[in-house]
Amino acid sequence: MTPPAQTETGQRVPEPDRRLPDLSLREAAGTGARHGRSLIRRSWVVLAVVGTLASLIAAGVGQDRTVNAGGLPLVGDFFAAALRPRLDADFLALTANATLTTLGYAVLGTALSLVLGLVGGVLASQTWWRSATRRRRGIRMAGWGMTRTALVVPRGIHEVVWGLFFLSVIGIEPIVAVLAIGIPFGAVTAKVFSEILDETPQRPYTALLAAGSGRGAAMLYGLLPPALPDMLSYSFYRFECAIRSAAILGLLGVGGLGYELSLSFQALLYQEIWTLLYALILLCGAADLWSSAVRARRMAPRRPGSRTSRVVIGSLLAAIALLPISAWIVQLDLSVLGEAGTRELTVQMLGDSWPPDLPSGGWTELLQLAAGTLAMSVLAIALAFLGAVVLAFPAARMSRAGGSPAGRAARLLMIAATRGLLLVLRAIPPPVWALLFLFVLFPGILPGALALGVYTLGVLGRLMAESAENLDDRPLQALRAQGAAALQVFCYGVVPAATPRFVAYGLYRWEVTIRETVVVGVVGAGGLGLLLDQQLATFDYGGAVATLLVFLGLTLLVDLTSAAVRRSLHT
Amino acid sequence: MIALRTSELNPEKPMCEQRSVARCVVVVGVVAALSVVLAGCGADAPGGSGAAAPDGGDDVLTVGAIPDQDPQELQRRYGTVADYLADEVGVEVRFEPVTDYTASVTAFRRGDLDLVFYGGLTGVQAREQVPDARAIAQRDIDAEFRSVFITNTGAGVDPIADVSELDALAGKTFTFGSDVSTSGRLMPQFYLSEAGVDPADFDGQVGFSGSHDTTAKVVEAGSYQAGALSASVWDERVEAGEVDTTKVREVFRTPTYYDYHWVIRPDVDERLGDGTAAKVEDALLGLDRSDPRQRQVLELFQAEEFIPTKPENYRLIEQVAREAGLVE
Repeated sequence: MTPPAQTETGQRVPEPDRRLPDLSLREAAGTGARHGRSLIRRSWVVLAVVGTLASLIAAGVGQDRTVNAGGLPLVGDFFAAALRPRLDADFLALTANATLTTLGYAVLGTALSLVLGLVGGVLASQTWWRSATRRRRGIRMAGWGMTRTALVVPRGIHEVVWGLFFLSVIGIEPIVAVLAIGIPFGAVTAKVFSEILDETPQRPYTALLAAGSGRGAAMLYGLLPPALPDMLSYSFYRFECAIRSAAILGLLGVGGLGYELSLSFQALLYQEIWTLLYALILLCGAADLWSSAVRARRMAPRRPGSRTSRVVIGSLLAAIALLPISAWIVQLDLSVLGEAGTRELTVQMLGDSWPPDLPSGGWTELLQLAAGTLAMSVLAIALAFLGAVVLAFPAARMSRAGGSPAGRAARLLMIAATRGLLLVLRAIPPPVWALLFLFVLFPGILPGALALGVYTLGVLGRLMAESAENLDDRPLQALRAQGAAALQVFCYGVVPAATPRFVAYGLYRWEVTIRETVVVGVVGAGGLGLLLDQQLATFDYGGAVATLLVFLGLTLLVDLTSAAVRRSLHT
Repeated sequence: MIALRTSELNPEKPMCEQRSVARCVVVVGVVAALSVVLAGCGADAPGGSGAAAPDGGDDVLTVGAIPDQDPQELQRRYGTVADYLADEVGVEVRFEPVTDYTASVTAFRRGDLDLVFYGGLTGVQAREQVPDARAIAQRDIDAEFRSVFITNTGAGVDPIADVSELDALAGKTFTFGSDVSTSGRLMPQFYLSEAGVDPADFDGQVGFSGSHDTTAKVVEAGSYQAGALSASVWDERVEAGEVDTTKVREVFRTPTYYDYHWVIRPDVDERLGDGTAAKVEDALLGLDRSDPRQRQVLELFQAEEFIPTKPENYRLIEQVAREAGLVE
């Protein structure tokens, strides 16, 4: 294949993408890089639309049996209970206790993921491998490629599956939840950190290298300091995710909100469920506010003597103080890691899991289910992305010149309402959403996709709102100064600037959605998640490994696709 | 991810501030790592005295239970059960809150649970994983457990008189409960197969709602046309008016089979002293409704009394589970 023009201007040009037909590439090569890029971008849009439509067809939308109006009263029952949660003293005490436990796991899990993410992030960055001597280029490329690929393994496996694994080798110990959160999150963090490092200006680093300093020292003094604010901000976002994750993991016997929720959910005690959900919403909301405060400070224009670093450092110290407190709350015991039994069981467990074992239907069954899972994730992310684009702007605190007091108040109200809605959407765990959608739809891919879709919408909407708030204001002011109407400013100023970030966030959450299909598989949604659940329930570890390998394959596919899409967005 | 490019953020940030943040992060990171390690090891300290320790070590009898009905009642008031057993057996007892079947069997195999109230199928699984584990007691109601098949009234299924007529459900959409539930999955699947109905004969993929209550609700909603669940859960919900019987109705009640039972690990005597397992067995079988505290324990398990059981009682479950591929 001919690569698109290596341009006269020496600009960075997207690499050719294999999915594209030769024709378009040749055309792109002929008419210059700019045109080529926009063509590639347009092809991605077409591909996304076609993929979503294909997934809709796979989900059976438009066939005679989709919506089940008979279930509406049951959904009504659930939301009616929101007005009368269970509030007796006993249950409130239990809820408070569970909330603290969940917070503890989230703090410790995040801490572990940051340590792993920092080490993995450096090793997975192109910068680190590029800086080795000019010889052995092949080895360096292989080293980078291998680290990136190795990171897919922890990332493609859901926290609950990690939890079950550690439970079987370590036993019912608090450390199980910490590892189950820390390891997959560590891999995600490593990926993000490596991208931050690679996008950080490299001059101080290369200068240090040229001056003869070692790779490690050059990185520590030349690259990490300017990259730190971004990494910190991401760490706080990770913390919010850890809270939601800790709330799912409780059912493994480590306690917390997830455990109480799973108990109340089994018996469908809506009033109890709502009390626990309110606790979760409060916890997520608080983490959200804290994280926004830190991130906003970091983004704000810096004046001499500003309090910026004080807020950041204060938050850091608070986070550090939370660590031993959390270890005490959950009664963390690290000594179990070194026990001989743990090592023996790990070896035994890995022995049981190898070689992978195909399900009764063989590859055909696995690939069919994988297609279902993929369709579910595509629908979920399409819904989440479109919804988030719509809700991100009303939820963003963007500067507006002037406006009457009443107008400002209305705007504040709208911001609070949209943010609140997004918070509720992401605080209700996907299995609960799945049941609600199962009430009003017929079983299949669709209820699972909608459940993951609204949940992801909550996460994505918040990420996008924040990114909209952080847009460079200067072009918008310039447009306004030239007399552009609000709509014109939006279309020609905001949209072009926001699109690449929005797309990047959407692609990132798509990968998470693939993994999350595991937790809605149970509620009639089918796909690989249900198969994995049954394999684990029957201790068919070989089979579970085969299914997990397919999950990893899907994750890798999504990873490669996002890399290609993001390359085409680089200008 | 993430389209945060530093160049967009703050190119002119003073270097000294970056350094101070960096130094702070390094110091703080070291402190943090130390504090967690210290706290993690410190958690061991109170373990010596036993009572409040989260990880009491080898001298504690750990108990778990995931009953069919109102599990939250028992799980949240497990102190009653643990206290009773501690007094009767004379060892320290800790109740472990595990609600996931797979997790509880895993923990039993690992030796983290000594005594568990298992369902018929999970008990078989647990004894399969720990070969010398024993079934020591069951509730009175467990000797005569039943499942019910329910249908949405719109599905047009008439009450079924005999197992062989369960084929009336073929071609409908159908959901089981939890995939390792004896009364919500295994035995219904067995009786369906007696009528010549294979899960593949249902319309679309057969569902696994996750719990008995969920099965009742999704059939009431009409999302699934038919389902199967524990008869005792069904009866209780109907009596309490918690299901709309104009929308969902019972069409068939299965013959009786054995279900829940207490399973104990073989190494309990070795670890906690000879005769411990026997004392546990006596304590369970001796529960008496006339004693107020013992009555509470029985009520949490919704039992009149606990009665002896034997491995033969679960032969059918084991055989069906093997055929369904649920036990290796």
